[in-house]
Amino acid sequence: MVKQLEYMKAEELLNMYGIRVVPAKYVKSAEEALRFSEGEAIVLKAIPSKPAHKSKNGMVAVDLKTQDEIRNGFNKVRKAAHKFAPYKILAQKMIKGTEIIIGGKQDSQFGKLVLIGLGGVNVEVFRDFSLRLCPITTYDAESMIMQLKSRSIIAGNDKQFRMLKELLLKTSKLMSDNDISELDLNPVILHDDTYHAVDLRIIE
Amino acid sequence: MGNKAVGSASNGSKVGSYKSLDIMMNPKSVAVIGASNNPDKVGHIILQNYLDEGYGGKIYPINNKSEGSILGLRAYKSIRDVKAQIDLAVVAIPAQAVPAAIRDCGVAGVKSAIVVSGGFAEVGNVKLQEEMMSIARKFSIPIIGPNCLGVTDPKSRVNTMFLPSFKIDKPKVGGVSFASQSGAVGSSIFDLIAHEGFGLAKFISYGNAADIDEVDIIEYLANDKDTKVIVFYLEGVKRGREFFEAAKRASQVKPTVIIKGGITEEGAQAAHSHTASLAGSYEAYEAMFRQAGFAIAKDMQELLDYAKIFDTQPLTTGNRIAIITNGGGTGVIATDAIYQNGLSLATLSKESNAALRKVMPPIVNIRQPLDMAGDADDKRFAAALSTISADPNVDAIIVIALFQTPGADSRVAATISHYNGVIKKPLVVVSIGGSYTEVHKNMLESTGVPVYSSPGAAARSLAALINYSKYRKGVL
Repeated sequence: MVKQLEYMKAEELLNMYGIRVVPAKYVKSAEEALRFSEGEAIVLKAIPSKPAHKSKNGMVAVDLKTQDEIRNGFNKVRKAAHKFAPYKILAQKMIKGTEIIIGGKQDSQFGKLVLIGLGGVNVEVFRDFSLRLCPITTYDAESMIMQLKSRSIIAGNDKQFRMLKELLLKTSKLMSDNDISELDLNPVILHDDTYHAVDLRIIE
Repeated sequence: MGNKAVGSASNGSKVGSYKSLDIMMNPKSVAVIGASNNPDKVGHIILQNYLDEGYGGKIYPINNKSEGSILGLRAYKSIRDVKAQIDLAVVAIPAQAVPAAIRDCGVAGVKSAIVVSGGFAEVGNVKLQEEMMSIARKFSIPIIGPNCLGVTDPKSRVNTMFLPSFKIDKPKVGGVSFASQSGAVGSSIFDLIAHEGFGLAKFISYGNAADIDEVDIIEYLANDKDTKVIVFYLEGVKRGREFFEAAKRASQVKPTVIIKGGITEEGAQAAHSHTASLAGSYEAYEAMFRQAGFAIAKDMQELLDYAKIFDTQPLTTGNRIAIITNGGGTGVIATDAIYQNGLSLATLSKESNAALRKVMPPIVNIRQPLDMAGDADDKRFAAALSTISADPNVDAIIVIALFQTPGADSRVAATISHYNGVIKKPLVVVSIGGSYTEVHKNMLESTGVPVYSSPGAAARSLAALINYSKYRKGVL
């Protein structure tokens, strides 16, 4: 039985380890989503209680700016989520940037692993990722980034490199300290010399 | 000899540790259980090999059907009849009879056993293997095998392999140690190691790993003073974390070249996340090898290519490669190969360029790669090697010696050998060609110069050496 950590609990856990998560809030109505947006672009996602592919099933509406867009988006997502009920609708601030994946898993042979790669929905196509056993050292974290073909895209300058290195070390600590079988932060969006995890999947 | 990582000591505690391998490699006395006068029997071949190797300790042939003598040695019906200390029993009898034989070993006070017999967990006979192990535990006898070739140590002249000596080349004593789960991969690579002129320190084929396993072996080889380079064929490990820790310790003192058999996707099926689907079983192994500083070979040729450079060349963390060639086009291909492997072409110092200009004929352009032209003789090779090896902007050297050219002969080979002996930087040679080239390749390799038959293999091997050097130093 797959037991996925509820979104807000996952956010809380990540925050405890200093991993940045995009500002988000559950909304019950389009009006509530509007208030959350404060005039900025938002994303609406239906979070069904059972795991399901959100974007493939139309349960995600992105880049909603105007009142109309937010109202329509809310209705669209609610409708798509209907057959996956029960569900909640999550509003997140819209962020644009380079998508990476940060992950972790429990391997039957070697125990906990941590992963970084070029992210998004096509991770399995590009397969540009690196992997190490937890807990990782600073050297391991650096060599993980250096191993990526996309390193110049995702860690183009020293500041970004340091930021990703620290993110990996925090993820390794999170994995080591907790009973987690799979962790997917995909995507984590790199933007304006910082990052935010946008989709959180933590399986106990 | 097909082995699988099946049947394990997990049903009970282990008997042996890495220390147990000491007595198996260096026994003062050996009993061959299943020794026979019949040349078709495995026990005959093993005993014959002991005699052929010139093993200096006591040998006791054991055969429950024969007394008198086997291959000229006094034979015993049971190991219990030998009233002397036995350090190692090599067991080569049908599987069903093995547990009783181990019990006899226990009563006789035998210190260790290598069970070459097959017919245990690898064919589903887990119960028989466990029966053997429970007796071994009772008498505290560490065991290698079952279903293996056992060990070879050319220095102590111990060889438990049941392969007729005329079918397999005999390696000289040296610094490469080779461990293999599989006997088939083990014996073929062993043969190649000998044929390619490597010196061997230890060979271990450990089969089903009922007791002594890959963790013990990596630990033993890491501690073994004769071993300079560890070469490992691995299908799987049972104690993953312990292997990882032992592997890291090994890499702090010597390099390991590894090849992993069985690239399966079993992990992917149960995946609920992107991470789990990317990080399958093989990927986890690969991550562990990288993190432990192992050089990962893709195939058997690469395994030997890497072993060769680690065995003979010093470490360097620099990646500026100078190329000296007597063939222009091959130099161009080598330049591509070094960049494809994350290395770069060295820029020689002004002083080096000036010195080279003085000694090279006008037709030679003084630049990298240094194309000395097809008429380059030993004097030109010597002049280039002497200047370039001393250049502080050069971390390692690729010498391309094409022996088809008019200037290249055994004097060129001797010159390269000389410089390989005196310079403190890694040097590799690329020689491409037929039988005349082969002769010179052998001359070079017998003096410790690694020779590759393609620029790509040379560049990959240099990259493996540099990566390991960086790992040792903790630099990226």
